[in-house]
Formats: sequence, C-alpha cells, structure tokens
Amino acid sequence: MSEKTIERPTTDEAAIAKEIEAEEKAAARQASLLRDGWADLRKRPMFIVTSLIILVLLALAIAPSLFTARSPFSDGFCQLQNSMTGPSSGHLFGYDVQGCDIYTRTVYGTRNSIVVGVVTTTATTLIGGLVGMLAGLIGGWADALLSRITEVFAGLPLIIGGLLIMSIWGGGDVWSVSFIMAILGWPQVYRIMRGEVIANKYNDYVTAARALGAGSWRIAFRHILPNTLAPVIVITTMNLGVYISAEAALSYLGIGIQYPNISWGVMISDAQDRFLTSPHALMFPAGALSITVLAFIMLGDVVRDAFDPKMR
Amino acid sequence: MRGAKSAKWVAIAAVVALGATACGGGGDDSSSGGGKGNGVVSVEIGEPQNSLVPTNTYETEGGQVINALFTGLTKLDADNKVVNAMAESIESKDNKVWTIKLKSGYTFHNGEKVTAQSFADAWNYGANQTNAQQTNPLFSHIAGYADLNPGEGKKPTTDKMSGLKVVDDSTLQVTLSGAFSAFPSQLSFTAFVPLPTAFFKDPKAFGEAPIGNGPFKMSGTFKHNESISVVKYDKSPEASKIEVKGVNFKVYSNLDTAYKDLVAGNLDTLLTIPNSGLPTYHKDLPGHYMDTADSGVGYIGFPIKYNKAFQNADLRKAISMSIDRATISSKIFLGARTPADDYISPIIDGYRKGACGEACTYNPSAAKELYTKSGGLPGNTLEIGYNADGDHKAWIEAVANQIQQSLGIKVTAKPFEQFQTILNDLDAKKYQGAFRMAWSMDYPDMENYLRPIFSKEAIANGSNYSGYTNEDFEKFLVQGDQAPTHEEAIKKYQAADDVLLKDMPYIPVYFYTLNTGFSDKIKSLKIAGHQILWDTVKLS
Repeated sequence: MSEKTIERPTTDEAAIAKEIEAEEKAAARQASLLRDGWADLRKRPMFIVTSLIILVLLALAIAPSLFTARSPFSDGFCQLQNSMTGPSSGHLFGYDVQGCDIYTRTVYGTRNSIVVGVVTTTATTLIGGLVGMLAGLIGGWADALLSRITEVFAGLPLIIGGLLIMSIWGGGDVWSVSFIMAILGWPQVYRIMRGEVIANKYNDYVTAARALGAGSWRIAFRHILPNTLAPVIVITTMNLGVYISAEAALSYLGIGIQYPNISWGVMISDAQDRFLTSPHALMFPAGALSITVLAFIMLGDVVRDAFDPKMR
Repeated sequence: MRGAKSAKWVAIAAVVALGATACGGGGDDSSSGGGKGNGVVSVEIGEPQNSLVPTNTYETEGGQVINALFTGLTKLDADNKVVNAMAESIESKDNKVWTIKLKSGYTFHNGEKVTAQSFADAWNYGANQTNAQQTNPLFSHIAGYADLNPGEGKKPTTDKMSGLKVVDDSTLQVTLSGAFSAFPSQLSFTAFVPLPTAFFKDPKAFGEAPIGNGPFKMSGTFKHNESISVVKYDKSPEASKIEVKGVNFKVYSNLDTAYKDLVAGNLDTLLTIPNSGLPTYHKDLPGHYMDTADSGVGYIGFPIKYNKAFQNADLRKAISMSIDRATISSKIFLGARTPADDYISPIIDGYRKGACGEACTYNPSAAKELYTKSGGLPGNTLEIGYNADGDHKAWIEAVANQIQQSLGIKVTAKPFEQFQTILNDLDAKKYQGAFRMAWSMDYPDMENYLRPIFSKEAIANGSNYSGYTNEDFEKFLVQGDQAPTHEEAIKKYQAADDVLLKDMPYIPVYFYTLNTGFSDKIKSLKIAGHQILWDTVKLS
C-alpha cells in the first residue's frame, strides 16, 4: 500500500502545478500496478499453459469446422444403428445414444460453453461493476437501497434461481441461459466493487483530488476505478470457469441449453443412463468440460497471484 | 363439469422433473432395510394425480393403491383374462341387461357390509357430472347416463341412473343403453368398485384415507409426495390367500432414484425399471426381475382438429413410414419395447400381427415420396412435444432425427415439464405440434383401445386429444358393442381398427414391455393390467 501513503495533501496554494504533477504521478502508478502484474504474469509457467489451453478452446469455439470434417447439423450425422458404439479409428470418441459422433459434438459444444461463459461474465462485470460503483460513490440512501435490491438477487442461489426462472419462462439457447445467469450472478461483482470503492474513496489522494476541485466523474474514473480493477479482474477470470460449469449443470438438469443446440451438460445428461455399460459417451464431454473449467479457474488463480498487492 | 378430461399415462410418475431428489427414498421406517421378516413390502408409485377416490382415479399410479384397497366385481388374472372377483356370477342374454350376483362375506374396512347398493351408489356418483369425476365417461354405457350428464352449465335432474336396479342385497341388475359385449371386462377397472356410505358424507376426507372392501386397509392417511401405507384386512375373504402382511407404496418423482433404491435394498418392487437400469438390470438383480408384455402402446399424436397442417392422412402416414421402429426398440429401449404394428396391444384378443402393414414399416424413400405428394408441412418443419419427467427424451429425439433424415425436413423435440402440461395445452388448443401419447388399458378388451382414444364422444369426454372423428369408425364400434358373441364383436372392432389404420390419427410406435424388478424379500409375483396381483406374491 506504499503508493497510497506517499501522497500528502498540501495547503501550499503556490504549488498547484506540483499538485497536478503528483496527481498524474499517482495515476501513472495505478496504471503501473496493472503493468507490474502483467510483467509478473508473463513469467509464470502456469499462465503460459492455461493461456495455451484457452487459445485452443477459443479456436475451437470460433472455427469448429477446422477441427472436424463432419457437421453435427448435416443430414445423416446421427445414425441410430451406431448407438453407443465405442471409440474407433475415424471416430475417436465413439458414438452417443442417438448414434451421433461424440468428437464432433464435443468440438461444436465448445462454442456454446465459451459464449455462455464470456457473455455472462461480461454482463455480470458491467452490471455489478456499474451498480457497485454507484452505490459506493453515492453512499447513504442510494447505497442502502441498491444493496437491498442486490440482496434480493443474491438471495437466490444460482442453480435454484436458474431452475426456477427457466422452468417458468423456458430457455433453450445460449442467450437465455446467459441472461439468467447474469441476472443471478451480478451481485457478487457488485459487492466486491462497492467494497473496493468504499475502501478507496476515503483515501488521502481522493481527498486531495477533491480538495483540488476535481469533479466527481474525474475522481471516480481517474482515481477510484483504477484502484478497484485488480480484484474485479481476478473474480471475473475465475467466474468464467464457474459460469461455464453452471451452464453445464443447468443443461444437465434439462433447463439450460436444449436440443438441437449442443451443450456438454446435455451430452453428459444423455449419457449417464448408460454410463456403466458405455462410459465413453460420458467421459469425453465431461473431460472437455473439466479441462475448460480448470483452465479458466487456474488462469484466475495466477492472475490473482500477480495482481493482488497483498500476495506480493 | 364436463371436459374434465381423463389423462392416462403409462408407467410415468407425473411429478415435476426438478424434484429429482426430493422424494421419500432412503430411511423409511416400516419397510426398508431390517424389516425383512415383517411381511411388509414396499412398492414404487408416482404421486397419484388426485386423492384416492376410485371414480376419480384414471391413471396407473393411484390405480395401484385403489387396487390393493378395493375388490371390484371382476378382476384380471395372471393371463390378462377377466375372472369374477366379488361377483358370484355375471349373466346376460342380450349383452344389454346384465344380472350380477355378489359373493357374501365382504365388508368394508369400517365393518359396513358390501351390498348391491354400495355398487349402485358408487357408480351413480362417478357418472354424475356435478361430481366431475375423471372416470365419468366409463359409465356411459349404463342406461340413464345421459340424465346425469346433460352438458356443461346444466344441472342433472336426477342423481340416479335408470339402468341400475338393486334387486336385493346381493343382486344388482344393470341395463345398458345398448348392447355392450365387453361390459364384464370393463367392470374389472378400479372405477367400478363399491363405496361405503362413509364416502358420501365426506368425499374429501375419504380421498386421504379411503375405506375399501379389499384385502388391504389404510394404515394412517395418504402422505402426499411421500408414501401410502396399507396393512392386511384380515376380515376380507381374500386375506387368507395373501402372504404379504402390508404394503408401503413409496412415492418417487424419479424412476432412476427408485431403481437405485431397489438395487440397494431400500425398495422391494419397481414395476417399471427405467431406461437407466435396462443395460444392467439382469446383472443388478439376478433372478429378481421379470419381463412381461404390457398393455401399453406408445404413439405420436397430432392435433388434427385444430391444426390444418396435419389433416392429410397421407402426410401422417409419411411421417409414420419415416420412423425406424425396430432400431429404436433395440438401441434406445434395449428391447424393452417392441415395434408397434397395430393400434391394439398384443396381449389383447383381436390383435393382428402386422395389421398396420407398410404404413408402420420403415421406408424412407416411399415416405419422402408420400410426403411430397401430400403437400407437406408448412415451412417443412415439425415439432414433437414430450414430457420431460418421463423416460421420453431419447426416443423422441431418435424419432425426430429419423423423420428429419427420411423426409428432409426440420424436426425439433420440445420438452414439456409434465405430461399434464401438454394435455392442458392441447385442451386449450394452444399447442400446434405433434405430441407423444401413450395408452394402457383400463380393461382387457379391444374396445378399450378404440373408443376412449379415437371416438367422437372421447373428444369432450375422454382421451381423444387429436380430435379425430370418422363416421365409419363410430358405426363399427356400435356394431361391435352389439355383437352377440365375443368372436363377432372382435370382427367388428377389427373393422373399426382398420378405419384407424387407414386414417392414422395417431402413429403407433411401440408396444410396452414391463421390466419389473423386485428385492430378495420377494420370491415371485405376477402382474396384470399394470397392477401387482397380490395373491400371487410369494415372500422368501
């Protein structure tokens, strides 16, 4: 925290130029916190490994057709006669109950998982971040009101809330699933953001900036926001993995992504009946899910190690 | 209230899919685990649709409990043949006026004697539209039924059917509105059991703790979503033939959970092993399983009446011919279903093997040709609705895939939370797509596979969810009812069946096989009409 205590408010009216300089320096130091983190991050082997995995996953999500010659949406892709046939050359992962090639379906399922993860995380960060910042900055009655509203959403656990909402409204595609998870997920980011803003807004440099006549917007975005970003980035990266697995869980329960859309959760759910006789149909989508979730959570872990000043 | 339609579902607990674990499995007091010697067996059921009033129970789950608590006039034996139960004799010269003599010695569980009046009162109650009983249409053969059902908004002028005459305590004379050869067979259904006077004083309380005349009586009340316990009623004339001392019907919302409980020894009987158990049940339950042909038929139905797109019979046939029933039976159901080739179940007298002919035979190219000729579906898309709480996802998706490939159109499967949701949407004419449907018999007669599902009267008053009507079909049904002998009746009903096969209002897809599992506690048992025959249950 040394960078925060260096600054001292001054009453010397003649030294305004100096003040401004100090202010800009502080901002530069905040930015360099991110830069320091990045420098630290690049050196970590775990970061390189997880990044590579995530790059491959992104490639799978963007262009699945590069990785498999078949299309799961083409006519004749599923042939019931092949139902539950094990792995063979040409069909490395074998076939599922409906006689569809599991490798192709796993590859095509990547996109939905990643999209749900990214969309949900972006939405929760934006909503939670914005509302959290407002609550923290304004304080008083606005904070109380927003916090109570947040608690309404936070009171519903993700899976139960998802079950409830989707069994009423129905879902079925990537967007409805992301929408519902975002609605139920933003309070977490809200709390972190609000906490960070409150912790920062009484710091000396904020008082200083205010004393110098900086506007509320300037203080919020130039002084407070950069200091709150690190924890939000950490939680966001970890949440990517969490939301991907939550999507799989909702789809597994039959209320997330639905046929004919492909989802690993649905594949796992469909395969569980025959697990004892044909484990391959469950193992491959479950493996893909584990690797993806693990990659994002480990990335979140190294990012936290690199960015959190307390960890240094 | 008319239009309160009967919903029959085969072997499926109509319970919310979400509550996968919220069931009474696990540590149950009376029957699980250590109680091997107490002669009480536990049986899986789904939550009954209504409280336990016999005339308001038109589904298999509550039906199992009613069957244990009540004894009707006739019953099914292990070969699905109708035999007398509480009836000493049932005779008629013209299939129209039936004289029923009762056996003596039967009492209700509260001590009241069962008389001819107990039957007449029960049937009058069931047939009266003001009581809105689910099984109301089953009484429609009895003369005077129309007086009790003047139609919606009107009040019946009487509360007794003129066709029911109590001659003396042990003789009931029933006059039907027309000849109906299958009447004794129909009497085996649980809706035709007698009711004690206590019922009419408080039907609501009765539904929670029914007082029957059967070999078992209630122990406590109906614990909703949990269990129903019954113990042997020693004063029943049938009691001596029954080895079991009591039955605990455990309510499960998920058959997979029930199967796991069965394998773990926490459940004694599971009538229908779910799909998840089919690959392994021979190994999981060595010597403790039984495969019997069941009365059920699975269909794909169409809302013909209000969706014009489905009104062309050739289109429905084309869809039928694009389904590979044999592969679905072997790959999805692992042999627990057989391909359907008639509207009538193979266990019924009058079933004809291959009656459906090429319309039920997989032939993608002919199907495509017929589809094109019929004009096809708007937008070349088809939606098939199914209830997600049963084991239907896999086969409906397989059917969807096959139709899509055979006809080159886009087919999607739409899950509904419960079967009742589909039925309600069909009633409200809200749902436009095709839908999964199934039927299991109420009584073992061809007529039961025809009239309640496809007749005109069943639209308002039964399970005709497609809204199909055909004058020829109605005509043959009536001729079958009036036929002087069983053989001639079958010929006429087969003619009605032929009309259906030509029009194909529903597509018959498979016949059910019942794969039943039981625990070490039970040595053997027999099943008929989707019910355990309690006098055949031998304990080990």
